[in-house]
Amino acid sequence: MAKPVVIVVGADKGGVGKTTVSRTLLDYFSANNVPTRAFDTESPRGTLMRFHPDITEIVDMTTTSDQMKIFDTLNAASPSVTVIDVRAGLLSPALASLRDIGFLDAAKSGQITFAVFHILGPSIASLDEIAETANFMVGAKYFLVKNFINDTQFFQWDQATYNSYFHRIKDATELTIPKLNEMAYEQVEVASVPFLKFVANKGTHDEAANYSFVLRGYVRHWLANVWSEFDRIKLTDLVGSGKPGARSGEK
Amino acid sequence: MATTPVYIICSPRPLVGKTLIARQLSEFLLLKNGDVAAFDVNLKEPSLLEYLPAITETADVDKTYGKMALMDRLIVNDSIAKVIDLGFHVFDEFFKMSEEIGFMKEAARRGVAPVILFVADTDRVSARGYETLRQQIPRNALVTIDNEHVVRGELPDSMAQGRILRIAALPAFLKTYVDRLTFSFTGYLRHEKDSSTELHQWIRRNYLSFRELELSLILQRS
Repeated sequence: MAKPVVIVVGADKGGVGKTTVSRTLLDYFSANNVPTRAFDTESPRGTLMRFHPDITEIVDMTTTSDQMKIFDTLNAASPSVTVIDVRAGLLSPALASLRDIGFLDAAKSGQITFAVFHILGPSIASLDEIAETANFMVGAKYFLVKNFINDTQFFQWDQATYNSYFHRIKDATELTIPKLNEMAYEQVEVASVPFLKFVANKGTHDEAANYSFVLRGYVRHWLANVWSEFDRIKLTDLVGSGKPGARSGEK
Repeated sequence: MATTPVYIICSPRPLVGKTLIARQLSEFLLLKNGDVAAFDVNLKEPSLLEYLPAITETADVDKTYGKMALMDRLIVNDSIAKVIDLGFHVFDEFFKMSEEIGFMKEAARRGVAPVILFVADTDRVSARGYETLRQQIPRNALVTIDNEHVVRGELPDSMAQGRILRIAALPAFLKTYVDRLTFSFTGYLRHEKDSSTELHQWIRRNYLSFRELELSLILQRS
């Protein structure tokens, strides 16, 4: 199998949709048959845990024992992809601790593939973080995710300011998550299932469910758009699996 | 299991006879099957609800909730034919939504057969609307209605390619007569003894066209 892959999803602000993006990533990998595990740092009660209980563990990134749980098992564990959903406000500290344990050096020397999905909030404050996190980002793939799922207006940003921050990071790729119909989003929340299962009209344990056809349609359409963004940035190449396209569940 | 037809009568133009056709088709299906469910998505024009209150429900597609209420009913294969009178102002919204949620494909999977009855007109809005449908709807599920009263024998070439259903124009005095809220097509056939009147023949001809349309749908699928 290829090198272990670690994907960190984070932002310094809450409510910008980190967990939503993590969920689409997990759905994407499961549809592409990439074995995946996930860590939710929102201890003790993780949202990601609620949607993907089978593959998610709750950890506290700041404690040594949990750092060991995540990083010492990278080579041993069979899943090739590890997705870490970093709690609001913990991205920079988390990256700092990754640097301290030598993880970033390992990424730099190419032993590990390391990618960061940085979810952007709508304000300038979150641009300052870009500058902050950029310092850690040598050797990592850096994705800036503009999340429109909760109707964020990115155009309020002053383009010049925006560019000055963006160009500070080399090789940063921009990614757009489109808006999902509010009702559809809410219904998935209530159902507490992965997006994929919602589209397939299944409950938590694969039992037949009875979700609205319209809402399922919206989710399917939206998920296809999100995945085409992941296809665009060649996410499956990054994790060293086969070509995108031959996945189940998407029709 | 037999498929359930869903007739969607639509046009991006007002006053082309959508409701007239929806009324007749509903009455025809009621006569033939003893059952029909009609939906009125038409809040600004004279509407189906006023004519056939017993079998018609209102629906709207402005809000997600309305879409759910309508579409979740349409997608059920319950052997009750559905007729939708789609107002001109929701034409774009409806077909945008149906494309997004994959209505045609899901319908095929569930044994529901949507038939789009597009009431033709000669203007540009209609041409554009028809083009939208042509890209989205499978060829054999799209029927152009050539309403003589509207098109006056000049059906645009682009619309003349596919399947066509013709409705002859009525003289003005008969038109006012059938436009009355209390008028029933089936009722007229039953009570008018003289079968040679123009209206009698007109209704029978239209019922015959609907019958043929239905037959061709059955044949297509077998």
